[in-house]
Amino acid sequence: MTDVLQVEHLSISFGGLKALDDLSFTVGDSEIFGLIGPNGAGKTTVFNCITQFYRPDAGAVWFAPGADRLARAGHHGTDKVDLVGVPVHRVIKHGLVRTFQNVEIIPELSLIDNVLIGGHIDFKASMLAQMFRLPSSRREEAALREKARGALAFLSIDHLADEPAGGQPYGVRKRLEMARTLMAEPRLIILDEPAAGLNESETEGLAETIRRVRDEYGCSILLVEHDMGLVMNVCDRICAISFGKFLAEGTPTQIQRDPKVHEAYLGERDDV
Amino acid sequence: MSNASAMAVRVARHPHVRFLVFGAVLMTLPALASSGIMMTSTLSTLGFTLIYAIVAMGLNLLLGYSGLISLGTAGFMGLGAYLAAYVQDDLGLGFWVAVLAALIVPTFIGLLVGVVSLRVRSIYLAIATLTISEILLKTFEQAEWFTRGTAGKQSSYPVVLGIQTDRSSMFFIIVVALVLVMMLTHNIVHGQLGRALHAMRSSEVAAQAMGVNVLTYKLFAFAVATMYAGLAGALYLFFLKSSYPSTWNLFLSLNVVAMVVVGGLRSIYGTVAGAFVIFAVPELILKELPVIGDTPGLPYIFSGVLIVVVIMFFPQGLRGLTDLLRGLVTRRPSAAASEQAPEEVAAR
Repeated sequence: MTDVLQVEHLSISFGGLKALDDLSFTVGDSEIFGLIGPNGAGKTTVFNCITQFYRPDAGAVWFAPGADRLARAGHHGTDKVDLVGVPVHRVIKHGLVRTFQNVEIIPELSLIDNVLIGGHIDFKASMLAQMFRLPSSRREEAALREKARGALAFLSIDHLADEPAGGQPYGVRKRLEMARTLMAEPRLIILDEPAAGLNESETEGLAETIRRVRDEYGCSILLVEHDMGLVMNVCDRICAISFGKFLAEGTPTQIQRDPKVHEAYLGERDDV
Repeated sequence: MSNASAMAVRVARHPHVRFLVFGAVLMTLPALASSGIMMTSTLSTLGFTLIYAIVAMGLNLLLGYSGLISLGTAGFMGLGAYLAAYVQDDLGLGFWVAVLAALIVPTFIGLLVGVVSLRVRSIYLAIATLTISEILLKTFEQAEWFTRGTAGKQSSYPVVLGIQTDRSSMFFIIVVALVLVMMLTHNIVHGQLGRALHAMRSSEVAAQAMGVNVLTYKLFAFAVATMYAGLAGALYLFFLKSSYPSTWNLFLSLNVVAMVVVGGLRSIYGTVAGAFVIFAVPELILKELPVIGDTPGLPYIFSGVLIVVVIMFFPQGLRGLTDLLRGLVTRRPSAAASEQAPEEVAAR
């Protein structure tokens, strides 16, 4: 199996506090990979280092999304790139897209316009062409709108396409954020606590959705999650970290049996 | 047959067609003035109202859509006015070159200010624009070769397409400019550009994750706002035929902010309505009131109180008011939908 993402010896400190310490793991092609750890373990920091919101002090984030996506991001004649140092807004061009813990959608816009934000990088028409609604820009808008409708349909919320996103129930907004990631034709989707705030049946639906996205869009998924039920249910492999350090890696069963993981979670034990 | 009528309905509903109809209605106003139904001074007030609507449209793009604030509107507008006068009357290059200069030079200066201040944090744009506006104001007072200083720069109605304009025809030109600005603004906010601005205002972090280069779009919004201000400045000069430095002070910039807030953030017609309430209402109505009409600074008190009332009770501005009225008439389908939402959450 080829690896889509190779995180190598990642370290970052904030004012003397080592948030990540020599952390390495890999995410395979079409794999659902879970990142777990107690509160404050540095899970979100890992995300932010991969997506370049933070610049790690040391280490590399190798990403191998395939030649077409690398070409889209302006890299030619190579099969993988180190994302460290890539400007934040260019990361998505590589085929790496993320969601947010607290669902960052735009309440004033309709669902479909929110999804279209995910297609931002695909707009080729110049600012002037768009300001004057030239035919080229209108065609592009129509094509991407069609694609956005497809993404909404994939998540069964296309009947709400023209409704404002703000008034929608939490479950719909979560699915909307997922639909938005699909616009970028991702090779890797990073989900930051997707089950937070969902009830049991919604979480079950989420597991199903994550698998469907992986299967039909052919991408890998990196999941940070507190809901152990979801992680154990959906993940192919899991990496456990604690205080920014690597703890264990393996299948859900291996992780559940690992004494080091138990130790780290002591006090939150009923979760595991 | 039904196909053709459906097509006609579609055309009639197109926002650009509505802007044109709106402009056509405004164009009947000079006729009202010349036939004596409306005072000519009222026509002037309405002309300036539309000019302020153009500036406010730019600030709405900035404040409403992008979440940025500029306190330098007056300075850029004044620069547009003096440039127009300088190019037309001192250089003798005519109307179109004058307008072009008033569009390009302020935009360029605005971009420079933006590049320097927007890299840091959004709030620095407010500080930087306030500073640059004060510098421009001092320049207007001192650079007598350019502005004639406090004595004031005199100009004349321009010759446009070979026709000598007067007050009525300048009013037409202002309406044309406003309609073009409304169309352009509509195009900007209802496409990818507008969505990127929305995303940026909503969350810079999320916008970046979606591939939006935040600095580029901040600069874009600021450049368009500055361009509108320059255009409005040139129109102001040609409509009034003079310009004094004292016009372009902080109070004007704050009044433009008031127009946007009172009219409603992110609303094109609301911005025009806001300009009317903040500029025309004090001129046409408040000044005529007995007893309080002579109070110095009455327009400022009026807009100050309005801002407070709007922010506290009508955060949507005049736009919110029209939604409310429409809702009362049609039994509010939107309210029914929001009542349904909690049940839907519970059902899941």
